[in-house]
Amino acid sequence: MTTKVLTMDAMTIPDADAVIARAKRGDPVALEQLYRAYSPPVYNLARRICRTTEDAEDVLQETFFEVCRSIRNYRGDGSLWGWIRTVASSKALMRLRRNKYRDTDELVDDIAPAKPASHLLRMDLESALERLGDTARAVVWLHDVEGFTHEEIGSQMGKTASFSKSQLARAHSRLRGWLGEGALS
Amino acid sequence: MTDSKLHLPMAELLALRDGDRSEPAFAAAAHHLDRCTACRDELDALHQRTARLRALGGVAPSSDQLVRFQDHLNLRQIRRRRIISLVGMAAAAMLVLGVVGRNLMVPSTLDAEQRIASAISDSQQLEQTLRNWAPDSRVMDGRTALVVIEIEDRIAAVDARLQAVARLQRKERLDHEVSLWQERVGLMNALVDVHLTKANNVDL
Repeated sequence: MTTKVLTMDAMTIPDADAVIARAKRGDPVALEQLYRAYSPPVYNLARRICRTTEDAEDVLQETFFEVCRSIRNYRGDGSLWGWIRTVASSKALMRLRRNKYRDTDELVDDIAPAKPASHLLRMDLESALERLGDTARAVVWLHDVEGFTHEEIGSQMGKTASFSKSQLARAHSRLRGWLGEGALS
Repeated sequence: MTDSKLHLPMAELLALRDGDRSEPAFAAAAHHLDRCTACRDELDALHQRTARLRALGGVAPSSDQLVRFQDHLNLRQIRRRRIISLVGMAAAAMLVLGVVGRNLMVPSTLDAEQRIASAISDSQQLEQTLRNWAPDSRVMDGRTALVVIEIEDRIAAVDARLQAVARLQRKERLDHEVSLWQERVGLMNALVDVHLTKANNVDL
C-alpha cells in the first residue's frame, strides 16, 4: 500500500488519503489538518480579491465551513487544492457581489478612477493591483496567478468567457500604463 | 490585427501569451509578432509582469482565525453528539414501546437526571466556545446585534424559569428542568451561530 502525500506549494499533508477519509467522516482533527495546510493559500486568494482584511477573514471561514459541510462530496477526481480553491474563489466573488450590491456599484466597468497619467509617477505592482477595480483585480488574480480558465471565471461571475477576457485585457493595459512598462509606451 | 504598421492590442498579446488559439486573430497576431520588434518586447514585458504577479508575497491569516475555526469544529461536535444522543433515545423509546408497552414510556427520574446533566454539559461547552470567541472584542452590524440581544433575553428568561421551578417538588421539577435545559442549549447554539457566522437569520 502506498501513502500519498498531498502537495500544495510548501504545504504538505502526509498520508493525505487517510486524512481526507477521516475528514469525510467529520473527524475534527482531520478537518483542522486541512485548515492548517490550506488556510494560507485560501487567505491569500481571498485577500487579493477582497478589499479588506475583514472580508478576507470571513471568506476564509466561509470556505472552511463549506469544506466541513461538503467534503463528503469531494470524489478525488481533481486535486483537493483545486476543489478548495474553487470553493474559496466562489466565496470571495460572492462577497464582492454582496459588497457591490450594498454599495450600489457597477459590476462591468469598475476600474478605479484613474488619476492623470504621469511617467514620473510609477507605481509598484502591489499598488497598481490594488488600484484596479474589484472585478478586474479578481480576474487578473484568478486567471494569471491561480490558473483558472476564462470559462471558469466567467461562470463563477455569472458572465461569459469573453467578459473575463476583456476584463483581463483592460486590466493589463491599465497595469502596463501605471507601471510605465512596455515597448510601446 | 493584421496591419504590420500597427501594433498588437492587449487582447491579442494575451492570446499569444496563453497560446489561446480560439482567439480569431491568433494566427495573424503570431505572424505580426515575427516581424515586429516592438510587439515582441511588449509580449516580453507582459510575460515579466505575469511572473512578478505570481511572485508577489503571500499574506497569512492571523492565529485568531484558527481559533475561530476550532470553535466551529467544537460546535459541530456538540451538535453531532446531540443528534446521536437523540437518535439513541428515540431508538430506545421505540424498543420500550414495542417490548414492554405504553406504561413504561414515562421517563424515570434517573432518565430525567441524565438528560439534565447532558444538557448542562452541552450548555457549558457552548458557553466556553463563546468565551473563546470573545464577542465583546468584535464588531458586528446592527441587525446581528439585535438578534444577539433577542437570544440573550430569551436565555435570561429560561434562566429565570429554571430558578422558579427549583421550588417545585422533585418529580415535577425534573420534568420542567429537562425541557428548560434543552431549550437553553438550543438558544446557546443559536447564539454561538450568530457570533461565529454573523448570521442574522438563525432559526429560533
